[in-house]
Amino acid sequence: MTVLGRLKSWEGLLLAVLVAVVAMNVVRSPYYLGVTNIANLFQLEIEKIIVALIMTLIIINGEIDLSVASVMGLSACVLAWLFQMGTPLPLAIIAGLLSGLAAGLFNGFWVAYVGLPSLAVTLAGLIGFRGIARILVEDRAIGGFPLWFNTMGQQPVLGPMTASIAIFFVLFAIIVVVLHRSALGRLVYVIGNNAQAARYSGVRVKRVKMALFAASGVVAALAGILYAARLGSVRGDMATGFELDVITMVLLGGVSIFGGSGNLVGVGLSILVILNLRNGMGLANITGNTQTSVIGALLILSVLVPNMAQVLQSSWKGRNT
Amino acid sequence: MTEPNAAFKSTIAPTGVAATSERRSVLETRGIAKQFDATQALDDISLSLYPGEVHALLGENGAGKSTLIKIITGVVQPDRGEILLAGDRVSLRSAADAQLAGIAAIYQEPLLFPDLTVAENIFVSHQNRGAVVRWARMYQEAEAILAELGVAIDVRSPARGLTLAAQQSVEIAKAISLNVRVLIMDEPTASLSAHEVAQLFKLVRRLRDNGVSILFVSHRIEEVFEIADKVTVFRDGRLISTRPKSETSPQRSIADMVGREMGLLKPRPLSPRGDQLLSVRGLGRDGAFEDVSFDLHRGEVLGFGGLIGAGRTDVGLALFGIEPATAGTITLNGKEVTIRSPREGMDLGIAYVSEDRRQLGLSLPMSISANITLPMLHQYLDRFGLIRHDKEQATAEAFRKRLSIRTSSVDLAVAKLSGGNQQKVMLSKWLNTRPSVLILDEPTRGIDVGAKAEVHAIIAELAAEGIGIILISSDLPEVLAMSDRVLVMREGRAMAIFERKDADQETVMTAAMGQSSAVAGEVAA
Amino acid sequence: MSWLQRHIRPEQIRELSLLLLIIVAVLFFGSMIDGYYTSRTFNRIVSSIAIITIVAVGQTLVVLTRNIDLSVGSIVGCTAYAVGTVLGHYPGISPLLAVVMAVALGSLIGVVNGALVAWGRVPSIIVTLGTLAIFRGLLVDLSNAKTVTTDSLPPWLVNLPRLNMFSLFGLDIPALFLMSVIVVLIFHLGASYLSLGRRFYAIGSNPDAAALIGLPIRRLVFLAFVLSGSLAGLAGFVTLARFGNITVESGRGLELQVVAAVVVGGVNIFGGSGTVIGAMLGAIMIGTLEQSLYRLQISEFWRDAILGLLILLAVASDAVILQRLRALWGRADLKYVAPAGKPSLEGAHIP
Repeated sequence: MTVLGRLKSWEGLLLAVLVAVVAMNVVRSPYYLGVTNIANLFQLEIEKIIVALIMTLIIINGEIDLSVASVMGLSACVLAWLFQMGTPLPLAIIAGLLSGLAAGLFNGFWVAYVGLPSLAVTLAGLIGFRGIARILVEDRAIGGFPLWFNTMGQQPVLGPMTASIAIFFVLFAIIVVVLHRSALGRLVYVIGNNAQAARYSGVRVKRVKMALFAASGVVAALAGILYAARLGSVRGDMATGFELDVITMVLLGGVSIFGGSGNLVGVGLSILVILNLRNGMGLANITGNTQTSVIGALLILSVLVPNMAQVLQSSWKGRNT
Repeated sequence: MTEPNAAFKSTIAPTGVAATSERRSVLETRGIAKQFDATQALDDISLSLYPGEVHALLGENGAGKSTLIKIITGVVQPDRGEILLAGDRVSLRSAADAQLAGIAAIYQEPLLFPDLTVAENIFVSHQNRGAVVRWARMYQEAEAILAELGVAIDVRSPARGLTLAAQQSVEIAKAISLNVRVLIMDEPTASLSAHEVAQLFKLVRRLRDNGVSILFVSHRIEEVFEIADKVTVFRDGRLISTRPKSETSPQRSIADMVGREMGLLKPRPLSPRGDQLLSVRGLGRDGAFEDVSFDLHRGEVLGFGGLIGAGRTDVGLALFGIEPATAGTITLNGKEVTIRSPREGMDLGIAYVSEDRRQLGLSLPMSISANITLPMLHQYLDRFGLIRHDKEQATAEAFRKRLSIRTSSVDLAVAKLSGGNQQKVMLSKWLNTRPSVLILDEPTRGIDVGAKAEVHAIIAELAAEGIGIILISSDLPEVLAMSDRVLVMREGRAMAIFERKDADQETVMTAAMGQSSAVAGEVAA
Repeated sequence: MSWLQRHIRPEQIRELSLLLLIIVAVLFFGSMIDGYYTSRTFNRIVSSIAIITIVAVGQTLVVLTRNIDLSVGSIVGCTAYAVGTVLGHYPGISPLLAVVMAVALGSLIGVVNGALVAWGRVPSIIVTLGTLAIFRGLLVDLSNAKTVTTDSLPPWLVNLPRLNMFSLFGLDIPALFLMSVIVVLIFHLGASYLSLGRRFYAIGSNPDAAALIGLPIRRLVFLAFVLSGSLAGLAGFVTLARFGNITVESGRGLELQVVAAVVVGGVNIFGGSGTVIGAMLGAIMIGTLEQSLYRLQISEFWRDAILGLLILLAVASDAVILQRLRALWGRADLKYVAPAGKPSLEGAHIP
């Protein structure tokens, strides 16, 4: 099966699963497909899916960023801390975004220029950035944000769609264009497929990697701020564990953990699957923790199933030669 | 001339071991053949290895030596033919099988565990040493084996810190510990100093005197004639001759290595010498090559001859900026330049077409057009920074026509193309950068005869257009037919530069192997 | 070769320098904190690191094979909770049986991890991220979010942390700490003296060569994960003894501290080198830093930031040094034997 053929069937599978999950949910709740409910569906996990978009690029590029959830927390805490000290909120928001940029550049430096494995670097970042966040906020909960901030993420902007959802779709559109139509997108694929060969073709591998990690930092920071706005308060441990969902959304979408393949159609479908799945589980009164274990199982399956399919395929071929 | 092996049964064997007509070979191959894609790597190889004998194997790059080694060590299965071990047919389906049969190989790059101690490395593949490691005993036994070889290495230190020569000794110790009967040595001396080589040969002689049969593959012909008892020559996958050392000579062996018809390749018409394009003086990179100097003119094809590991690719990588030079000067169009990255190389109009098209030269899952435009992607963007597929396709189609790339569509993934067509895609990619200096590294390796001819025609056209071409190739007839001049490298140094009229296969090979001959000399461009 | 080079290997130099650093740190903090050199401080430090040390031993084995096990925190939580619950219902169970239960449960989870990594060929980062979530979720679900309380536990268990085995130089050695030291010693001996142990190093050091020799790579990787799970189970038992009150959140985040201890302790993230003693030293270093910062009244929230920095520094410095070593490894300096006539450009043409 060609890469293209395999992807097509993976997306077909995802579509089938999506239809099944939605069908089950509709049975349980007749208003399920109503516009308000759909908007709500997105709203509940909007920050994660925003980060999933940039994580797609990172994984296709052959790297991984485990620190995204901690950067979310960091940016929210930077914002809260500054705000609490009297900084005007718009400035605090910018500072939060900058902190994400700094975190991304930090990650990118060690991975792209020193050459350390992104697993180790972003694992250190996961711990370290969370640590910095907690230094700022300690174990308090900082709230008291002005109304416009709190409703920023929740205010319907276009029909039932909130600003956050709008941001998601805009970002989705941007990344689709970048990944599939722009030079940068092609470089992301080429490097993920074979970084050495890319270098031999004159591609500036280090710059691309650095840019991706920086972007990851900024997007995670944005997501963190939106999350703070939605919750109305900031705690040092907010968004802990989000990286699991984010990575699952990407891998379930058919993006290979080894880099070089995958597309946003698949990721889009897997996002829908996971959103509906979580929502459906919520309707069935399954607790948040159990939901997380289901996501964990999905993560493993998303890599295990193609692996096993390949093993079966090659042993079938072997028998026939 | 092929001489049947049967003749050797009655040959008096050289020094040391008494010969009888019933002396049994320890390893024998009969009619071994192997084909890879379009190439017949080995054809009807029948070879006998006897105990207590050093049997040298000579041949150019691609003659089939490493394929034979892979078959004997069980890594690759032959298409036809059989292998006999002490007279009995065996089937070697894996490296473990070969090991059990007493066959071991030592390569140029040792396969040791850097973090384990020397002693552990020696015994690591032993299955029956017990569940508990007896360190004191292991150290003792390791030292004993090394003493047998006349080598002193600290068996307690991790293998990581050893010099290459020491690592090789450890590999040999490994083989001995497994009671090797047939020891294959593949280019063992390539990175050793003269002193280390002498030490190695002492070891080899010791092994031989203990009855081990040694298959010694090397390009250093003077060494071969120092250590070997018998010399076999391969050429184009065939066994050309097997002779005792006393009945042959370096010159004769070289003649056997290259003695082929030149008729098939039409020589490219010589170009009139154009302006000087590129001038390289004293170029070097630590550990790879040193003091290389040459000139390249417009419209000239400068062939780079030599054996694998001679450093030709390294020179190419230095000129292109992937592994920049650490010494020497490069002058392009009269201006001195430094090239520290592929981007810089490309901006200067230099292009390098890699010898490894699958791993380094192409992005296999991507389409033909995407591959072709990759280095110049910035030229295919619209004002929003998005890729213009139509422009890409136009470029790809133009190259498809020009180079006769056989494909149903330029949007097809490169992985699906034949070797020859993949090569053409790689060429297109670099031609698209409009280079003035084009470095081709093994451009016709592994492609069929028809595609080869087409590539040669393209090279001729490019030269006629005024591009300066450096043709790195191990295909001697190709180098001689296509080049205006030939630079021969050996072990990181430039040995000689020949005009075409003064070069033939023997003189080039002689220079490549470092032999002095009446014809070789040094040349200023 | 000098005696030093003969008997002390590069990794050991790394560990010795870490030991030196610990001593320096202790002296440094001792000068800044009153009453630092007391048995109470010692007790605090060793009690806090006993758990991490035990888990770090298992993690070391996994990292040696070029893998990682992020699920250990969930394993500790699950086993602590499970054993605690069982003991709450059946207080008559013998201590030995309790330990065996913990280890067995941990091994089971290790089996799942190992099978998925070794035969499912799923990268260990993915597997253990997944099982981290799966087993934490199962814990919360099956427990109905109840808490194990100290009152429900048998007295021998509750008193275990206070049990001191003996005194050394006036310092009391708690039984639980002694247990962790024994675990370290057993596995250190195993890794150094069992062929099996050396094979872990081999497959991490050069996987290609290991495959060529025919080492059972998959089985060894599987075993590493099973052992990691068992030791995490044991650590779960210790957690239960130490804290008594076990919530469903118990053990969350432990994996990060364990990876930090392992990396700081000199176990190479690329596999193939490092020892369990190094991992213990790493745990001691981190534990000492933590306790001392606490005494200095620097907020505990600095811990994670420092931890992240330490990991990065340890990996970076090891990688840089490793890069240099790897450049030396297998690269002969090409020695050019000067030929009779050096090719020069002012030479004669070919006659």
